[in-house]
Amino acid sequence: MIKADHIVYKHKEFRILDEVSVSLEKSEFLAIVGPNGAGKSSLLSVLANEVRQGKQNILFKDKQISEWDVRELSLHKSKFSQHNSNEIPLQVKDVVMMGRYPYFESQPRQEDHEAMNKMMYETDIYHLKDRDYNTLSGGEKQRVHLSRVMAQLDNAIDHKLVFLDEPLNNLDVKHQYKALEIIRKFTHQENSAIVVLHDLNLAAQFADKILLMKSGKVAAYGTPEKVFTAENISDAYNFPCTICEHPVNANPMIIFG
Amino acid sequence: MLILLAIVALYVGVYDFNGTSPFTILGQLIQGDPDLALSDKYVIWDVRAARIIMAILIGSMLAVSGTGLQGLFKNPLATGDLIGLTSGATLLAAIAIVLGGHFREFLPEAVQFSLVGISAFIGALVAMLLVYRISTSSGKTNVVMMLLSGVAITAIGFSITGFLIYISKDEQLRDLTFWNMGSLAAATWTKNIVLTVVLIISYIILLPKGKALNAMMLGEKDAQHLGINVERLKKQIVVIVALMIGTCVAFSGTIGFVGLIVPYILRLLFKSNYSFILPLSAIFGSILLLAADTISRSIVAPSELPIGILTALMGGPIFIAILIKFKKSL
Repeated sequence: MIKADHIVYKHKEFRILDEVSVSLEKSEFLAIVGPNGAGKSSLLSVLANEVRQGKQNILFKDKQISEWDVRELSLHKSKFSQHNSNEIPLQVKDVVMMGRYPYFESQPRQEDHEAMNKMMYETDIYHLKDRDYNTLSGGEKQRVHLSRVMAQLDNAIDHKLVFLDEPLNNLDVKHQYKALEIIRKFTHQENSAIVVLHDLNLAAQFADKILLMKSGKVAAYGTPEKVFTAENISDAYNFPCTICEHPVNANPMIIFG
Repeated sequence: MLILLAIVALYVGVYDFNGTSPFTILGQLIQGDPDLALSDKYVIWDVRAARIIMAILIGSMLAVSGTGLQGLFKNPLATGDLIGLTSGATLLAAIAIVLGGHFREFLPEAVQFSLVGISAFIGALVAMLLVYRISTSSGKTNVVMMLLSGVAITAIGFSITGFLIYISKDEQLRDLTFWNMGSLAAATWTKNIVLTVVLIISYIILLPKGKALNAMMLGEKDAQHLGINVERLKKQIVVIVALMIGTCVAFSGTIGFVGLIVPYILRLLFKSNYSFILPLSAIFGSILLLAADTISRSIVAPSELPIGILTALMGGPIFIAILIKFKKSL
């Protein structure tokens, strides 16, 4: 699916990413976790072909990602950015429809409207569709963009990939779970997701693989059970923690302090 | 509405056709009626109709260039005259007139036209690149920097144009004054053909870009994720807008504020959805400029008011309205 080999990303002489290798198979939900400034967002940007620095060796579907045609690539992958624009003087439905821009020329077709409506229902923003985007709260705006990014990949192509950079910011508990369930449902259809998360317990519950980062390097990689050990976590975050079994779903549960 | 206005504009004018309607004359003209008086024919066809068509073409291009710039800079204050493109174009056009005047007699008419036109295009393009470099870093435009660099370019243009006026000969002086005032009075069919060609080329490239300009509101990186080639889009807009503004300046001088007024009104109706406002500004720009031109040549008849006065009268308050609305975010 996507395979990145020894990525180095520098700002001046400082190595934001230092020899990071990632590989992801279809149907996998990869959560990237780590403390602030560990390089999580930078890794996501580099993987998504957003920033280009020197020759990076990133293979997406067995082809260098930088060699893909931009339009074609937009049907195979989409990205949810951490800093979404606050000021978009359009209605909510117009913003979600942007996700369908790669599919139509001038006027949206029937199936574009269907894809848009479907995602607005799933993210629970359908009742907001005629509101001005600028009047929404932070959490509602996040859901609009989630809807847009997921509507972009509503097509018949196999093995798509979605990048999400902290999609749960500002969301309440219910919508955090809803968002993660949408992503998990997407990965169950033989697609993949790479998601930057801050909540380790949610990561343990939803992700198939965890990539723990610290100062631009991979500190640990593997299944949640393997990565979430007291030693790994307290070392990466520089903060004491205890791990126990989640009483309901038997995943590892991390308690800090 | 545009057609209706064009018909009205054909009627309005100082010249008296001895009671017959301008339409009968236009009809006679099209049928090639030999009885038609030469002066009637001249007024209707070479003066009035040519001027109406020119107002339609110039108004349309000015409005579309304004809307395109606003999409590129993501700000409703970006227009050719406010950020100095018009000044850049005027400056180089003025240089071409004064310096070109020295070897004018050696050049055929077409080359003379295109000399001023090409200079104006280069002037607009250079000003555009300058403003863009100064005001935009990593995909974000600083609005204050954008407007101030416009002020700076306008100041430079103003001083050099002033100097050129000082050293120029009488005939050139008349041309230069015309440039600074802005007028559609010099309309001819040759000019209209050139304008039409520029308009068609520009619109084929620019008008389908509505979706892409909408996506740019998400930010350049996210637009790229939607399959839009952002670098190519920016280059296309820069060149096409400079081409349109340069051509308009070369043929009609500086007519201000059309690129500000039209998108502002359309935004009130359609939000900022460029899929609608980009093509619609092509039509509303024509309506606005044709209406303004018709008023300007009839309100103080038999004399004529410079059209820039009317557009500035409308544009000024709208400029202030936008400033008040964006007081917090500037």
